[in-house]
Amino acid sequence: MSAEISRIYLLDAATGGAVEAELRDAIEAENLNDWQTKWQPALLGVLQGLARKGVPQAQWPQSWHWNWQEKTARVSGLLAYKGFSIVALGETQGLAQIDLTKSARILGEAGKPIVYIDYLEAAPWNRPELGGSARLRGVGTALITAAVFLSLEEGFKGRIGLHSLPQADTFYRDRCGMTDLGPDPDCQNLRYFEFTPGQAGTFLEE
Amino acid sequence: MIIDRSKEWWLARAAREGNAAVSAGLLAIDPVAETHSATEQPVSAEENRIAFGKFVNLMRRQQGYSIEKLADEADLDASEVLVIEDDVHYLPEPRTVYKLAQIFKVPQGKLMELAGLVVANDDDLRREAVRFAARSESMERLTSAESEALAAFVAVLSKRDGKAGN
Repeated sequence: MSAEISRIYLLDAATGGAVEAELRDAIEAENLNDWQTKWQPALLGVLQGLARKGVPQAQWPQSWHWNWQEKTARVSGLLAYKGFSIVALGETQGLAQIDLTKSARILGEAGKPIVYIDYLEAAPWNRPELGGSARLRGVGTALITAAVFLSLEEGFKGRIGLHSLPQADTFYRDRCGMTDLGPDPDCQNLRYFEFTPGQAGTFLEE
Repeated sequence: MIIDRSKEWWLARAAREGNAAVSAGLLAIDPVAETHSATEQPVSAEENRIAFGKFVNLMRRQQGYSIEKLADEADLDASEVLVIEDDVHYLPEPRTVYKLAQIFKVPQGKLMELAGLVVANDDDLRREAVRFAARSESMERLTSAESEALAAFVAVLSKRDGKAGN
């Protein structure tokens, strides 16, 4: 079954112009191919730049201390999961993997089903934390929006949850308006965030 | 699942995201323990490490390997090859140096010393390492001067390995 495609729009950070994009409700082989052949070399290039500038590894962005082979193997497994991909300008701009088996933790909603975002990442050229300026803006917001819509479609009333990387905590707390439930010792102390139905509604209305 | 919203609706949301980082989930972080960074090495060890990084860089380029290709051949992470070449404070695993010595066909013992894994008591080797590092530049293709420096240093490594044992 092929993915269903929604037409969405992102912002070109350099010109401020609109960029038409596709939000697909699946991660497909071509997305993983982009990850392998475009995302990974782009990251390696920036990593090389940091090393050349003498930036200590402790100061590199958090997501860079990885084992490439392990990460590649795990990413190739994304085909088996429900997910979203964003494609614009002929290449994959963002990916999210979804888990529908988790339950809410926030007071008043605890135990109810949620859309848990197992993985969310923008392409390296859209990640300002890597030292340059992002090429396209709105990739993360579009993926979160898709997760909320999926939650509504599944009857979960907009409830979603995720573990944020430290550099993205502000985005989920302040720009999305999710509740910060603090560091999760079961998930490498990443902070856990959730949308209640009310917060999800506000997020979609804004 | 189709989301039907206006162009203006999506653009307003994209504008609100601004320059924010958005990564989430363990797959986006996937950390590897990096406990081998040596921050306080003696000066001579650092000099050797500079030579080690230059040596790996030049040998890799001489043999026509990209960073990723060398990583594949040696069964290493590309990121580790990168820091070996560029970070003088990085202390590689013995297995890593062993693999590199195999690929570059140089004695493992001396490469371990250069890499800082074995205490270097060999002043001559240190002097040669400094001389080698000073003669090489990081460029896309090896210059003839770099090729000469590399060949001379490989000869020194091999000769001294025979003398000092492996």
